[in-house]
Amino acid sequence: MSVLKYSKSNSMVINNIKSLFRKVNHRLNKLSVLGKLSLFWLIALLGIAILGEHLIPHSHKIPEFQTLLEPNKVNLLGTDDLGIDLLSQILYGARISMGVGLSVAFISVLIGSLAGGLAGYYQGRVDGAIMRVADAMLVIPRLPLTIVIAAFMGPSIYNIILVLSLFSWASVARIVRSLVLALMHEGYIIMAKTYGGGFCYIFRNHIISKIAPVLAINFMKVMGSAITAEAGLAFIGLSDPTTRSWGVILNHAMAFKGIYFTEFWKWWIVSPVVFMTLTMVSIAFLGRELEGKNSYGKSK
Amino acid sequence: MEKANKLLSIKNLKVTYKDSFDYTALKDFCLDVYEKDSIGIVGESGSGKTTVAMSLMRLIDNQAITNGEIEYQGDSIMKYNDAKLSEYRGIQVGFCPQNSLEALNPLMTIQEQITEGIKRHFDHDSVTIKEKVESLFEKVGLSNDFMKAYPHQLSGGMRQKVLIAIAISLNPKILLVDEPTSSLDIDSRIEIVNLIRLLKEENEIALIVISHDMEVIAQLCDRCALLYQGELVECGITKEIFSYPEHPYTRGLISASLEVNPYQDLWGIPGEIGLHDVPGCSFYSRCTQRTTKCKFEKPRLLSISSGRLVACNRGGIVKVLKAKELNKTYNIGKKKIKACVNANIELRAGEIVSIVGPSGSGKTTLVSMLCGILEKDKGEIEVFDEILNTLNMHRSFHGMQMVFQDPYSSINGDFTIEKAVSEPLIINKLCSKDESYVYVKKALLDVGLSDEDCFLKTRTGSLSGGQRQRVAIARAMIMKPKILIADEISSMLDPSTKANILRLMKELQNRNGFSMIYVTHDLQLARKISNRVYDVNKGRVREKTICFL
Repeated sequence: MSVLKYSKSNSMVINNIKSLFRKVNHRLNKLSVLGKLSLFWLIALLGIAILGEHLIPHSHKIPEFQTLLEPNKVNLLGTDDLGIDLLSQILYGARISMGVGLSVAFISVLIGSLAGGLAGYYQGRVDGAIMRVADAMLVIPRLPLTIVIAAFMGPSIYNIILVLSLFSWASVARIVRSLVLALMHEGYIIMAKTYGGGFCYIFRNHIISKIAPVLAINFMKVMGSAITAEAGLAFIGLSDPTTRSWGVILNHAMAFKGIYFTEFWKWWIVSPVVFMTLTMVSIAFLGRELEGKNSYGKSK
Repeated sequence: MEKANKLLSIKNLKVTYKDSFDYTALKDFCLDVYEKDSIGIVGESGSGKTTVAMSLMRLIDNQAITNGEIEYQGDSIMKYNDAKLSEYRGIQVGFCPQNSLEALNPLMTIQEQITEGIKRHFDHDSVTIKEKVESLFEKVGLSNDFMKAYPHQLSGGMRQKVLIAIAISLNPKILLVDEPTSSLDIDSRIEIVNLIRLLKEENEIALIVISHDMEVIAQLCDRCALLYQGELVECGITKEIFSYPEHPYTRGLISASLEVNPYQDLWGIPGEIGLHDVPGCSFYSRCTQRTTKCKFEKPRLLSISSGRLVACNRGGIVKVLKAKELNKTYNIGKKKIKACVNANIELRAGEIVSIVGPSGSGKTTLVSMLCGILEKDKGEIEVFDEILNTLNMHRSFHGMQMVFQDPYSSINGDFTIEKAVSEPLIINKLCSKDESYVYVKKALLDVGLSDEDCFLKTRTGSLSGGQRQRVAIARAMIMKPKILIADEISSMLDPSTKANILRLMKELQNRNGFSMIYVTHDLQLARKISNRVYDVNKGRVREKTICFL
């Protein structure tokens, strides 16, 4: 009996995996070549960010080499003024950038969709209250306030995540609210309400599945802007100087006096910028592809 | 008007046939017949109609035990001796039996059969008798050529005329006609009906017509009595009964009758005739508004209005929903739009009521208020004589359910069919998961969809419009509603799907006996499906007769 049960559950698991694989394959086929490349780049970065130390060839904080080496076979991207391997620094920095990007995107989408959902569902005063706060968030000049708050709260990666999330949820909430407002006129939501379904039930069962594509696009957007924002804050020295994020590397390089009179900028400045640009472009491409699939139906 | 004299009075008549089953064909039957009265006795086959006629004529003394009292002008006919009975049978009450070859003696000519009674009761010479027969022939519209004919040489209509001629040959005070038009073609039927009416008016006799043909009763009788399994279920003025039946059985008979109900589909009374001699109401097994009380308690024939008697434990067809003085005004800018002004709506059990009107007339406003989705400015809604907020009725079994116009909107395309149909059960935690699975399967079968597992797991998004509408109906049916509100459920479907969905709704309605409010702008459709119609125009609601649509 137990054997039978086991084999049954086993085959079910295999079947599930197979169907999952088929689904993933199906989705992948819909992406263009650029989309596939972008996805590959992002997944690779994510892998590096997660595995971190195990992939990095050299230490990212201890000087092990001669200073300011050109790219060579040992140090693929050369070393900085302290003799630390640049590639290791950049790969380690991916953890910070991706971490910040993902967390900010996750937090803002979560808060934004909940706030927008509540506003659209209850309308009236709840709507008014939530949307006024969101409007305020959108209207306040972002960068100066970010700088002020980051400076006030002290340089820390968590503070940066917090500050960036604070400014990112409002635009998500706005979009979600407008979608929910339209959904509230749908028959199935009216019926679910008549049957006594509350906000939690309706949001979980009816609303999320309908706004998920838009949330995905917004997730990419917020992620992209969060990575840039983090790099920007780090560049002006508002991030934790002990962590080697891409912005901090740039900050260091730029702080090297007369760097443009030397050859060093060719690898010291260009390589983190290239990494960052590639990442941003990938996110943008993937976002565009998602958008095309969902709203314009351009997918192949 | 002077009070008419009571000719015949039947009190608590009970007839039990003396066969091995002791079948009681008639129970507690009471009926009064006045002078110049016309009474119809209606019922399905086997309801005891003919037994009434037979016991009135005392023709079943040998076959059955008769209890109760039949009084003719104050005397009990049960105590009549043979001579008195013979006079009673011909001169007082003329009996026209059910038309068949057996009713007439095949070995005697028509003339002989007609003169038989006259000869027996009067001492006329042969010339007078001949004149009498000729005048009878003239009266019933038969040519004198047929006088020498034998019954088998006549057509069905002619034989019926002969039977009528025999019945009136002795100028009776009461004419008792059993199934005068069954098995006749339409021309003969009209002829016979006109003949009987004419005879009644000319001779000023009282008429008792026994028939299952509702149209004949409607044409001939001022009053009618409905029999079901030997019990009187409803009795009253014919016009009132036909336009506003109070017993579910009466309504069933009317909706099964093509002549009385020309606009709608025919539907028989659902269910099988239940066991005889049950302790409770004999219509229990087929009734759509039964309660547990009906199973154990015999309903008594009670008067509900003047001259109207109904035997129903629930006092006749129940008023399920009653909306009084509903008002709704929308404020659009500074302008006030009256979408509903003093609307009164009544819905009875097992009835389809249509709400018709052009778009923008306030139909949806009215229905939304009835459902409780929309707050009403003024007025109240009674459900089963209780004022309540109808919104809560959607959340329990046996309440109120809605089906919307657009199946693409009313069902979430991301849901599986099982999830979509079981949604009301899940939200209100009405049953466990296994139970809901069973309910879903049953509901899907009810609406004519597959109940296979792979179908249950299909997303509703992949279904066609008609299928989705069926899913929406299944979602409503799973809650076993007493009231169903259907808002233009067929207007977005193609003609064939529309017809299928409407037939399905009507079938479900006929089987489950819920009441339905159907909103539509399609007058033909409203006429086809509804018992009554409310017309909405600029927020004002009026009841309209179906044939004037």
